[in-house]
Amino acid sequence: MSIEIVNISKLFGSFKALKDVNLMIPSGELVALLGPSGCGKTTLLRIIAGLESPDSGSILFNGEEATQRHVGERKIGFVFQHYALFRHMTVFENVAFGLRVKERKIRPNKEQIKSKVFELLRLIQLDHLSEKYPAQLSGGQRQRVALARALAVEPQVLLLDEPFGALDAKVRLELRRWLRRLHDEIQVTSIFVTHDQEEALEVSDLVVVMNEGKVEQIGTPEEVYNHPATPFTFDFLGNVNLFRGRVHKELEPLRDVELVMPKNIGASDAPVVGYVRSHDIEVGREPIDNASYKAEVLHVHAIGPVVKVELFLCETKETVEVELSRTVSRKLALQKGETVFARPRKLRVFSP
Amino acid sequence: MQPARISTKGSQRPHKAGMDEPRAVRWLMIGVALLFLGLFLLIPLAAVFSQALEKGLSVYLAAIREPDAISAIQLTVVAAAVSVPLNMYFGIMAAWAIAKFEFPGKSLLITMIDLPFTVSPIISGMVYVLIFGLQGWFGSWLNDHDIKIIFAVPGIILATVFVTFPFVARELIPLMESQGREEEEAALTLGASGLKTFFLVTLPNIKWGLLYGVILCNARAMGEFGAVSVVSGHIRGSTNTIPLHVEILYNEYNFAAAFAVASLLAMLALVTLAIKSLVEWKMREEV
Repeated sequence: MSIEIVNISKLFGSFKALKDVNLMIPSGELVALLGPSGCGKTTLLRIIAGLESPDSGSILFNGEEATQRHVGERKIGFVFQHYALFRHMTVFENVAFGLRVKERKIRPNKEQIKSKVFELLRLIQLDHLSEKYPAQLSGGQRQRVALARALAVEPQVLLLDEPFGALDAKVRLELRRWLRRLHDEIQVTSIFVTHDQEEALEVSDLVVVMNEGKVEQIGTPEEVYNHPATPFTFDFLGNVNLFRGRVHKELEPLRDVELVMPKNIGASDAPVVGYVRSHDIEVGREPIDNASYKAEVLHVHAIGPVVKVELFLCETKETVEVELSRTVSRKLALQKGETVFARPRKLRVFSP
Repeated sequence: MQPARISTKGSQRPHKAGMDEPRAVRWLMIGVALLFLGLFLLIPLAAVFSQALEKGLSVYLAAIREPDAISAIQLTVVAAAVSVPLNMYFGIMAAWAIAKFEFPGKSLLITMIDLPFTVSPIISGMVYVLIFGLQGWFGSWLNDHDIKIIFAVPGIILATVFVTFPFVARELIPLMESQGREEEEAALTLGASGLKTFFLVTLPNIKWGLLYGVILCNARAMGEFGAVSVVSGHIRGSTNTIPLHVEILYNEYNFAAAFAVASLLAMLALVTLAIKSLVEWKMREEV
């Protein structure tokens, strides 16, 4: 089922949580709503679910107007960050809940409910725990039960609100991959909210980057990471170093430097900022061309898979962090206090 | 190389030096608490029972079986039987609205719920006399229609409802607030109606808190003196509750009978405490 979000706005008191958001969620895809706390992603998810109502705008399910529909009639499955399992019911009863509260006419009988519940429990590999209570389960198990419960009513959309936020790092990794595999198997349109860019990039088919109630960029994980459209997106999805400079009228093509410039860069001598990833900077003892910036070595952090070098750019008085492979770093043998030259290989330029 | 040896000489049970009070202080504090308990609780309780049985079991039973005493017991039970369910219903509704929703006037409602606690019971009773009494707002209208509220059973019930108003609500509000809305939201997303959500999800989650509130409400309903005294009129055999009857017997110097009837309230207190402890234990188990 496809979802269309049209001009949705939402105010909480005087705080604008969502400002005229427009979005198209294709059917069957796993979509991530990614952004920092307070950007409106959870509010948007809850509006889609029907747990909040927008102040203006509309939601369309498969092209049909659904804004006024009651939450129970939207055929959605919702998974909460803190599981929200019914604490007084066993795992079986939790998963069976959606089926048991159906109206008498359409309610399946006991046998059908039992087989459906166990089918789902087998899917999440927790059929041996059907008689346990939520308090007796680990966080990861609880979240899987919450997922099974949501799937029991065969929703057309699965909505997950920071589903792995309350779990520890290792479990988070396992479950996020498990979610991807599950999605590949059942192919339900799914939208999940996260502030963890790694999670969004690894799991989803489509990433919606949000900030301050607006959509910054929509694209595949590859598009959004490698071709960020705005400074915010660049910064949020990975590290960023700033190289400030000015526009020169004649841009001589610099050898092996990739420069991505906005179309309307403005007058000559206009100030600009180049956004560069730490692994796109090379360091040498001699300047090569105009792209080499003189810098002082502040710190060399040689622990871990890459060596992180902190440099102080003499001209712009800014600090950058460079990631070098261990091999390169060993060859350079940088010392604290040395003068070197930093040369960005790939810049995305924005007006400041 | 010799393995390191840990000397156990001189160390007794492990103790968190930084956190414990010295033993003497601990015993002193426990001693004071027990003294308080003994002085203000146990001795009076023991006195009630010993005075009640002073003249023997037959006198005790006769005092309780006496017609005025029986009608007092009946009236007490009726007052409780009406006010407890009413306040239970109100308490659940108010706690549910306050804990799960935002609405204008919410803080006002919370303040009003606490009102019967802050007002002296005598004033609570007086208020009803001022409204429904002969010189009161509705006095003449009630008189014309021959409806008796003050100095009759309805007045007693009203006063009892008022003073036991907050108990269930005050118990449920923090409980429901701490439980949050997520389980209810989950139930709604799964297609349950509001009513089904309430009975299948909300109610089981609050059952111990509800029981706790109800038994406190009941204890107060049966034991209320001040407010009921003002509206009652003290008409023997018809508008006396157990506490009022005890007062009458005591004022007539009929101590054995007074304490005999009072021992009924004392037993109610003990039963209430027992149920309360059970509920507290159950609630702790759940957390």
